[in-house]
Amino acid sequence: MVTILSWIVRYIFIAMIYYFIYSIIRLIYLDIQQINMRGRNQDYPYLKLINRKDRLGFVVQEFYDLRENETTIGRGKENDIQILDKYISTQHSKLTVDEGAYFLEDLGSVNGTYLNSVKLQDVAEVKNGDRIGIGQVEFLFVKEVD
Amino acid sequence: MFLFRKLVLGRPITILIFINLMFFGLLFLMVGPYDRSILVAGVLLTLLMVVCYYLIIKLDMGDQYIFLIISILTSLGVAMLYRLNPVYGFRQITWFGIAAVLYFMAYFLFRWIKLWDKGIYVYIAGSILLFVVTFAFGTTVKGATNWIRIGSFNFQPAEAIKLFFIFMLAAYFKYPEKLKNTYVFLGIVYLHIILLTLQRDMGMAMLFFGVFISIYYIYQTDIKLFLYNIAAAVTIGTFSYFTMNHVRVRFDTWLNPWKDIAGRGYQITQSLFAIAAGGFFGSGLGLGTPGYIPEVHTDFIFSAICEELGIFGGIAVVLLYFIMIYRGFKITLMINEPFTKVVALGITLTYSYQTFIIIGGVIKLIPLTGVTLPFVSYGGSSLISAFVAFGILQALSKKSLEGEEFVELEQR
Repeated sequence: MVTILSWIVRYIFIAMIYYFIYSIIRLIYLDIQQINMRGRNQDYPYLKLINRKDRLGFVVQEFYDLRENETTIGRGKENDIQILDKYISTQHSKLTVDEGAYFLEDLGSVNGTYLNSVKLQDVAEVKNGDRIGIGQVEFLFVKEVD
Repeated sequence: MFLFRKLVLGRPITILIFINLMFFGLLFLMVGPYDRSILVAGVLLTLLMVVCYYLIIKLDMGDQYIFLIISILTSLGVAMLYRLNPVYGFRQITWFGIAAVLYFMAYFLFRWIKLWDKGIYVYIAGSILLFVVTFAFGTTVKGATNWIRIGSFNFQPAEAIKLFFIFMLAAYFKYPEKLKNTYVFLGIVYLHIILLTLQRDMGMAMLFFGVFISIYYIYQTDIKLFLYNIAAAVTIGTFSYFTMNHVRVRFDTWLNPWKDIAGRGYQITQSLFAIAAGGFFGSGLGLGTPGYIPEVHTDFIFSAICEELGIFGGIAVVLLYFIMIYRGFKITLMINEPFTKVVALGITLTYSYQTFIIIGGVIKLIPLTGVTLPFVSYGGSSLISAFVAFGILQALSKKSLEGEEFVELEQR
């Protein structure tokens, strides 16, 4: 009885410990990806992820560069920034540029867009260091001052 | 199946809990007439690990993977020790309890006290004092005079000296002007190594030299001096081969242990037999015969793991060390301040070399020298010093993350 159990346990153990190693190596992979992203072009403003990546069940980059005129965020693939979070609507929100200032706009999403933890009602200006919450992820808006 | 995925495979900590419950359940059925204390011990151990893990997350203590990896190694060690001898297993759990407390103490002390980089004389004095105490009151265990007996338990001062040595190196590279010149520094380093050699603790001497030469290679610009150091090491090695009998025995049994299986080569051949008996998947926990290997609970525990859990289990252990060392290097790379950088590097290197020396020794890759396998081997002082060292590394990981936040604030 114990012999059979012991045989089973050793296979389960080996499977489990390799799964444990796999789950940590996955984190190493995400880490290394992040190191590669650091060599990006710093001129444009960008969004920086605040969440810990391993807690999320979907792929999200550490940095997102913003486009020149407007940047759309959502789950659909026509968006500039596509995030496959189930709490994000197909067309979720939009960042537009007007005379050097950046404005965040909600595109009628189901779960809303948050600016510094306050639900966005209309359009609001985002400044350097503001936190933008969309679905389960939260970004830091970074705009370097020249 | 869904429940299994959700409950067990969800997060690394749940995998750890599952492995522990599996091991101790099996041990409960295996050892003796259904001894309840094993289940209690297993639950206590798991509970302690879970509590520590959640404390690390809740108090936001930086890197959360170090503790996970070291706890899975410790629980593997405890399970193995229980299987070899329940007395050792139970004592190891007690040591783990003390070590976990010291892990947090090391974390907080290292963060509170800001004067760590200024105490180079304290570190030198501390390690010399420990050496003197060892020579004066030390007891000889298995040919090496490196134990101090206090009351009923033995304590290995070299484990504490290891930490002093790392701090000494770090303090020197922060303020090199504190020691008159680089030759004084080299003199102190070689004093450590020679004293360890005199204690006949060759594994530790190798370990200290490895850590020193790696850090020296990174921080010293003078390549000639580095080569002189290598030459000095080769000289010391050759010299000790010709003058000290035990070094020669170690070296000869490494080259050909089969010549004298019953005598000098007994340890290493038994270890190789055990690894070979394990095969790919091992004989199963409790079904092998690791009792034939001498010192199986300390130096040769890796052979016992290989026998009972197979070479896949053994490789898994090596991979766990790989990940642990990777986290150490990651933390080192993120630090900019020279003192803490060398401390992080020193701790990482110490434990990586220690693992290499002992695993390489038992599989006959390098000459066998007696050091413990970090976190897995039985031994209070080695477990405690390892936990203290990784507590410091945890504090450094927190510091390196804070450094990042500081950069962010500047950008605002």
